[in-house]
Amino acid sequence: MHEYSLAYAIVEQVKEIIEEHKALRVKKITISAGPYELIIPDLLQDSFKIITDEFEEFKESILELIRKPARITCLECDYKGEPDSEGDDEFAYNFKCPECGSRDTHIDRSYLTIESVDLELPS
Amino acid sequence: MSQEKKISVKKTVYKKNDELAEEIRIKMKNKGKLFFNIMGSIGAGKTLLLENLAVKLSSHYRVFVINGDVATTIDADRIARHGVKTVQINTGGGCHLNANLIAKELEKINIDDFDIYFTENVGNLICPAAWDVGAQMNIVIVSITEGEYVIKKHPIIFKDAEIAIINKCDLDGLGFDSKVLEEDAAKIKSGMKVICTSAKTGQGIDDFIEALGIEIPRDE
Repeated sequence: MHEYSLAYAIVEQVKEIIEEHKALRVKKITISAGPYELIIPDLLQDSFKIITDEFEEFKESILELIRKPARITCLECDYKGEPDSEGDDEFAYNFKCPECGSRDTHIDRSYLTIESVDLELPS
Repeated sequence: MSQEKKISVKKTVYKKNDELAEEIRIKMKNKGKLFFNIMGSIGAGKTLLLENLAVKLSSHYRVFVINGDVATTIDADRIARHGVKTVQINTGGGCHLNANLIAKELEKINIDDFDIYFTENVGNLICPAAWDVGAQMNIVIVSITEGEYVIKKHPIIFKDAEIAIINKCDLDGLGFDSKVLEEDAAKIKSGMKVICTSAKTGQGIDDFIEALGIEIPRDE
């Protein structure tokens, strides 16, 4: 259950942003994730609630998860983009290059992104 | 009155972990240390393989093993019997190690006191894949008793691995088959070093050490 770790990492980064902007609270955090991140949304939401429960700055904060397509970089032909739309009938996750058919592709671990935060600032 | 403001962030959730992991990697490399991250399911044979490595390496190198587990010091105690230094991290339910946990343990020791570092990550083929611990090389261990579909179901963790160990090969032909796992591991990325081992009989351990790039000096 890595969702707890992810929620914790999100909160840690957002705390720094709150401090940097001297915000009163964060209203919404928007993150984006592809299929390789293997996130179960409900577990992420539950973890986020548990972690932020004691922090006034996160009261009624919304964590929005946007799903985005997988992204690969082909190490054979340098293609960058979505994997082969025809899928891969051999492996549970498709990381085949649509251009040259190679599975020798790189998956960017940093793809899970904090896109934006909506802050409430003092006037 | 208050005002609202949208801040564009566009940073990876793993930012802090990745930065710390890179710091560890650079520090270890600059000091000429080797650092390997061993991942695999519960029961794959990670601990017994590390015991085998400890036996072979401890008379030539100073080895430090960081064991990750939800509870107990069983794994660290087992490996420590073979003349290497170990420390057990209990994650208390956490399903993977991360750079922060490793950094905390490294702060407690003098890095110069050891030559080769290993982590035995928490038994799991999903969560440890995304959390960089700062190692120079990732190794994934699967055992043939996990079934022939284990790599097909969990290919992602192999993407950042340089070595795939197919363990418990002493059971090959006894209702278990290593061939499919060897083929699947090799299909995930080119250059993957696939090694069949038996932590029980010692099969493949020398090949594993060679794949790690560790030289064992010949006896005088």
